[in-house]
Amino acid sequence: MSEGRLVQRRVAGRGPVRSMNSRVTGRSHAAASAARWDTAIGSVGAALIVGLVTAVVAGRAMRRPIDRLPADRAALKVRDGAAILGASVLADSAMEHLRGGFYNPAMFAAPVTAAAVLSASVAEPDPRERTFAHGAHAAGAAVGATGLAFHLYDVGRRPGGASWQNFFYAAPIGAPGALLLAGLFGLASERIVAIEHLERHPRERLRIARLLAACSGLALLFESAEVALLHFRGAFHDPAMWLPVTVPPAAGLALLHHAARPSLHRDRLARLLTGTTGILGVVGTGFHVYGVGRHMGGWRNWRQNVLAGPPTPAPSSFWGLALIGLASLDLLAAEGLPR
Amino acid sequence: MRAPVGVWATEAEQRPRATDGRAPDVFSRDGHVPMRQFEDGEDVDFAIVGTGCGGGVLAAKLAEAGLSVVAFDAGPFWRPLADFASDEREQDKVYWLDERLSDGDDPIELGSNNSGRCVGGSTVHFQMVALRFRPEWFAARSRLGYAVDWPVDWRTMWRYYAEVEDALKISGPVSYPWGPDRGRYPYRAHEVNAAGLVLARGAEALGVPWAATPLATVSAPRGKSPPCVYRGFCKIGCSTNAKQSVLVTYIPRALAAGAEIRDLAMVGRIESAGDGRVTGVHYHRDGQWRFQRARNVVVSGYSIETPRLLLNSATDRFPDGLANGSGTVGRYLMVHSNHAVWARFEEEIRWYKGPPSMAVCEHWNYVDDHPTKDFDGGYAFMSQGPLPVDFAKALVSNTGTFGTALRNRMAEYNHMAGLKIVGETMPQAENRVTLDEETDALGLRRARVTFSYADNDKRLFRHSLGFMKRMIEAAGGFDAYETSSTAHLMGGCRMGHSPEDSVTDADGRTWDVPNLWICDGSLMPTAGGVNPSMTILANAARIADRMKALAARGELAARHA
Repeated sequence: MSEGRLVQRRVAGRGPVRSMNSRVTGRSHAAASAARWDTAIGSVGAALIVGLVTAVVAGRAMRRPIDRLPADRAALKVRDGAAILGASVLADSAMEHLRGGFYNPAMFAAPVTAAAVLSASVAEPDPRERTFAHGAHAAGAAVGATGLAFHLYDVGRRPGGASWQNFFYAAPIGAPGALLLAGLFGLASERIVAIEHLERHPRERLRIARLLAACSGLALLFESAEVALLHFRGAFHDPAMWLPVTVPPAAGLALLHHAARPSLHRDRLARLLTGTTGILGVVGTGFHVYGVGRHMGGWRNWRQNVLAGPPTPAPSSFWGLALIGLASLDLLAAEGLPR
Repeated sequence: MRAPVGVWATEAEQRPRATDGRAPDVFSRDGHVPMRQFEDGEDVDFAIVGTGCGGGVLAAKLAEAGLSVVAFDAGPFWRPLADFASDEREQDKVYWLDERLSDGDDPIELGSNNSGRCVGGSTVHFQMVALRFRPEWFAARSRLGYAVDWPVDWRTMWRYYAEVEDALKISGPVSYPWGPDRGRYPYRAHEVNAAGLVLARGAEALGVPWAATPLATVSAPRGKSPPCVYRGFCKIGCSTNAKQSVLVTYIPRALAAGAEIRDLAMVGRIESAGDGRVTGVHYHRDGQWRFQRARNVVVSGYSIETPRLLLNSATDRFPDGLANGSGTVGRYLMVHSNHAVWARFEEEIRWYKGPPSMAVCEHWNYVDDHPTKDFDGGYAFMSQGPLPVDFAKALVSNTGTFGTALRNRMAEYNHMAGLKIVGETMPQAENRVTLDEETDALGLRRARVTFSYADNDKRLFRHSLGFMKRMIEAAGGFDAYETSSTAHLMGGCRMGHSPEDSVTDADGRTWDVPNLWICDGSLMPTAGGVNPSMTILANAARIADRMKALAARGELAARHA
């Protein structure tokens, strides 16, 4: 039997290692003041996103303060919703694609198109087809649809294929859908403005109103599924994470039900749930800001944490979709509702 | 103004921190939490020696049941946020580096991946791999025809695995490819790093399943633990508290429930009375020997220190050491063979990113009949992410590479990937811990560890090397080479069915001394082909419930019986 003497003695000279190490990892005064500066910048960054959305809505509110017909007002509301969706996609895709290092140049398409959709939706509705707004909305829908295919391809090409692991961590499968929706609802708003010319075709107007309600209901269900996937990835570690996977789908179902058989009772229920969904979109942003702060280093370490933490621009998409849902309810109500 | 990392670390190694009615708050850089304290003369219900996977869990669960508990640890009480640096040499401080003697045909290298010396034990530096035993292994003799059966049914263990997985909020895959249903892991698996995807690609090429490794580091916030930042220094101590070690899970629970933790308190001897019962422990703290009275003593010092303490506590009545009537104390010591295959890749891997082992293949743990399977037991293997010094050491000691050649090999560090096994070894009576004549600074006889591989162990790791080489090459690796080492310790005071060939019964109660218990990895009768921490934790959680049940029935000496 060989007798090895593999023993462990404290390594001599650990003192110097320790002190050197302290210097290396220690935070200097300059770094500490930079950290405070970071905090300010972090808040500014978050405020910018909220401010952007608020400014757009405020701007919309100031749009032509004249008496509008109900369809006109509904069209504006749909465009507000589309603009908020566009702003959400702009900020979210810019951050997420930055996180991916714009690895593929096609990744620039999402934020650029989202910006175009945002500005198109802020513009005054115009039923004519050859406008910038029409083109931008159509491009948003096209890029969104292409993005869906692209993200699906990214899931499939990884080891494991269509697995939970890849749905969690490959390109988010539903995210480009928000851009597709922003474009489609932008296009829809042009159609709604055209309703004014259908004064003598009440059946056609009702059909469009019901279609919009159904589409906004489906969009809410679709968006909730995306949230459910990502909140499941986060293990629903905070009970509040259940809110956006319960209220918005309920609103979506209520909108679908109302679209199928409009009634005053169903209108009230859909209005309540859809309104709550809109509020959740704003509150959710606050939750995500809080969630970013729970990552290592908190908002002091915003450079890493806004990318690693919950996406701050994402929840506002519920606000946008809720506005569109409410617009569809207004349109339906304008046609007169049975009890 | 925050002090730099490491300013207080030295102090933690020199003066006890858990004193004056308070213990360190592990979620702060310099804060405290209140701690109940007991007098040395007070007859506490439980004196627990060790605060790792065994002792930490016991301390929490027994204190929560209203029993009075004092838990001792020879090492410091760290606050990871302030005390842990991103420096491999500095972090040697989390290992048990006291001198031990290692011999046998295949002497074990002791000190890093098989020891811990701080409150929280080895979980402070474990790789967080949270796997369950294959159910059949609990009946290895009767179901698979090798080694011995555990005195515990797998279904019981399955329940306790679920309990401790929830306590540590294990982040694991939604569905696990091997074994019976294990419910949903509390948190989702982490994104697999490039080193893990090498294993995934190789497994898909060879047609065997793979999985994201269930890990004890959170993938979403949990209380004061932020989610993992994929810093990659996990195995030298997590400095963010994302790692769910016993130090940040069970220890805070134990303190909140009224247990006392004594850091820098080395227990040197268990006192026994004329009636054959133990009466307390002699421990060295703050420069002097003291004696804590206790109704029950639990030894949770792991596979070397547990037998060492029992052997060092010999009396005239127990001349061969406490609880050693069968002569089994120190015997049936096991390791995991830790053989590995490494290869270079064209693309950049950067394997240091994230926890070291993010993908796992347990294929050979669950295959019994295969023409190439010429061994009993099994092995899991995982993707690897050694830190630079660790990797350089493995290169030097296994391949003899040195000088310019070593420098060139290290330049390929970011293009390397590896696969490493956790290979089961057979329990052998001659692999054991004994006492050497040499004594340590406290006058306690040092442990001598004797280990030799059995033929079956060698067939197992040879098989693994062949399979992993095929896999890593199928994943695109080239210039493959092999290394060997060991990890983990199991056995040394095994539990069993009879006093003739085991040290304790299924409850961890020693056959010879009714109020002396063992609760740690040394109880394990077989090693299994997976990392042992979850099994040790689950077994401890089970033993705690047994102790509570016995106390409630008055079959255990405790005030609250």
